Amino acid sequence: MTMRGIILRLAVFGLLAVFILLPFAQTVALSFTLTLPREGHEVGAFTWLNYAEVFKRPELRAAVVNSLTYVTLNVALCLIAGLPAAYAFARYRFVGDRHVLFALLAFRLTPPVVLSLPIFFLFAQVGLVNSPVGIALVHCAFNLPIAIWILESFISAVPREYDETCFIDGHSLPDFFFRRLIPAIAPGIGVTVFFCFIFSWVEVVLARILTVTAGKPITMAINALYGFRTDIGLVMALTVVSLIPGVAMIWFVRNYIARGFVIRT
Amino acid sequence: MVNPVSNRAWWLLTPALGLMGFVAVIPLLAVFNYSFHDIFTVNEAYWIGPEWYAEITRNPTFWASLGRSALFSAIALGIQVPLGIWLALLLLKMQRFAVPVLMLVAMPLVVPWNMIAGMWIQLVHPENGIAGQVMTALGIAFDYKFTALHTWVLIVLADTWHWIGLVVILAYAGLSAIPHAYHQAAAIDGASRMAVFRYIELPRITGALSIVLLLRFIDSFMIYTEAFSINAGGPNNATTFLSLELAADIGSYTYGRAAARAMLDVLIVLTVAWAFVRIRSSEARR
Repeated sequence: MTMRGIILRLAVFGLLAVFILLPFAQTVALSFTLTLPREGHEVGAFTWLNYAEVFKRPELRAAVVNSLTYVTLNVALCLIAGLPAAYAFARYRFVGDRHVLFALLAFRLTPPVVLSLPIFFLFAQVGLVNSPVGIALVHCAFNLPIAIWILESFISAVPREYDETCFIDGHSLPDFFFRRLIPAIAPGIGVTVFFCFIFSWVEVVLARILTVTAGKPITMAINALYGFRTDIGLVMALTVVSLIPGVAMIWFVRNYIARGFVIRT
Repeated sequence: MVNPVSNRAWWLLTPALGLMGFVAVIPLLAVFNYSFHDIFTVNEAYWIGPEWYAEITRNPTFWASLGRSALFSAIALGIQVPLGIWLALLLLKMQRFAVPVLMLVAMPLVVPWNMIAGMWIQLVHPENGIAGQVMTALGIAFDYKFTALHTWVLIVLADTWHWIGLVVILAYAGLSAIPHAYHQAAAIDGASRMAVFRYIELPRITGALSIVLLLRFIDSFMIYTEAFSINAGGPNNATTFLSLELAADIGSYTYGRAAARAMLDVLIVLTVAWAFVRIRSSEARR
C-alpha cells in the first residue's frame, strides 16, 4: 500500500470511528451521571447509582432475564429448523425449490408491523402472550429465512464427497449431522447465531404487542422508564447493559463476520 | 457439479415450513381476511368487500405518506449503499486490520431499535449533548422538534449510523471472495481503478449487493421505531411514513382499515422485491 493510501485510510476510518462511537460515548457518559435529584447527591455528578438501580429493581432484572431467554430460544429454533432445510437446499434439487426460496425471501421482506395484529389474536388463543416463548416463536418469521440462507452458503462450500464418505463410513443421517456436518460448518453456525441474535435482540414492534402485562424484554423495560420525569441516567445505564451481550457476540464472531455471505444467488 | 434430484428432500423442510406456517403464513392470510371486514370486536365483524381499500386509496394522505416513505428510502439507499461499498473497498487491502473496523461498524447493529432514537436525541441535546453543545457553540440552532428539515436530517443520520455496518459487512464479504488472480490479471492489463471496480468487483458482488439493497429497501421504506421515537411523525406530518399511519390505525382499533393498509404496504414492498429479482435474474442470464 502506498503512503497516500495509508493516510487516506487513517483519515476515513478515523472519521468513521468518531461517527460510530459518538452516540455510544454520549450514552456511557450519561449512564454515569446523576440526572434526577437524589438525597445527598448533586445532579450532574459522577455516580454508580444508575447501574446499582438496574440491578436492584426486580422488574429491570426480570427484563434482562426475559430478553436473554427469548433470544436464546429463538436462535435455537432457527438452528433446529434451519439446518435441515439449508441442507436440503444445498444438496438436492426438488419440485418447487426455487419457489420455496422466493417465498422465504418474501416473508423476510414482510414488515413485522403488518403481522402484529393477527399474531396477537392467534397467540392469545394458544396462550403465548406475555411469555418469552411467544416472542421467540414470532421472531422466527424473519430470522428463519436468514438462518437458512447463511447456513446454505456454508454447507454448499463443503464438497459433497465429504457427505458421501461419511455415509459410506456408516454414519446415519442424524449422526452425520451432529458429529460431522455441524463441526465442519462451525463458523457458519457462529455467523447464523450472530445475525439471528442481532435481528431478534433489537426488535421492538412484535415484542411490544406480545407482552401486555408480563414477560417484558429489556426494550420494553426501557420504554416503561420514560415518563413525566424521566431518569435519563437510568435509561442510559439500562441501554448500556442491553449492549453487553451484543458486543460479546461481535467479539466471538469477529473473524467470520464477513464470511457468512459468500454468495450464491 | 449438479445436485441430485430428490423430492424426499421436502421432509428436511418440514420443521422450517411448519414454523413459518404458524408465525408468518397464517397471520398474513388473517390480515388478508380482516382487510375485507369491518371489525368491532373479534366476534363482531362484518363483510364489507374492498371498501377499506377504496377509502384508503382515495385519501390523499396515504399517497403523501407513500411519497415520503419512497423519498426516505431513496435518500437512505443513496447515501448508505455507495458509502458502504466505498468503505468496503478501502478495507479490502487491510488484511487483519479490517477486523477491528468490521467490529466497529457492527456495533450499532446490536442496539435495540427503540434506543437508537434515545441515544441520538441525547447527543444533539443543545445543553447536555456532545454534538448539541458543539452546534450551540457554532451558532447552529438545531431544532428537530419543529423544523421538518432537521427532523429528516436526524432520522437519516440515525438510520445511516444504524445500518452502514450491514452494507460494509456484506459488501466486504462479496469483495473478499474475489480470487486474487482477477486483480493480478487486471494489473497486468494496466486497468484503471475505476475499470477494476466496474468490470471485476461490481459484477462479482451483485449477489451480496442485491440482498443489501432488498434488506435496506424494506427496512427504510417501512421505518417505524426510530421515526416514531424521534418526532412521532411531526412536525406537521412531515415525517409521517407509511408504517406510522399503519400503527396509528392499529392504535385506534380500526382493525379492518389497518389490515387493508397492511396489505397495501406488503403489496408495494413485494412488487418492488419481485421486480428487482426479475431484473437481476434476466441480467444474470445475459
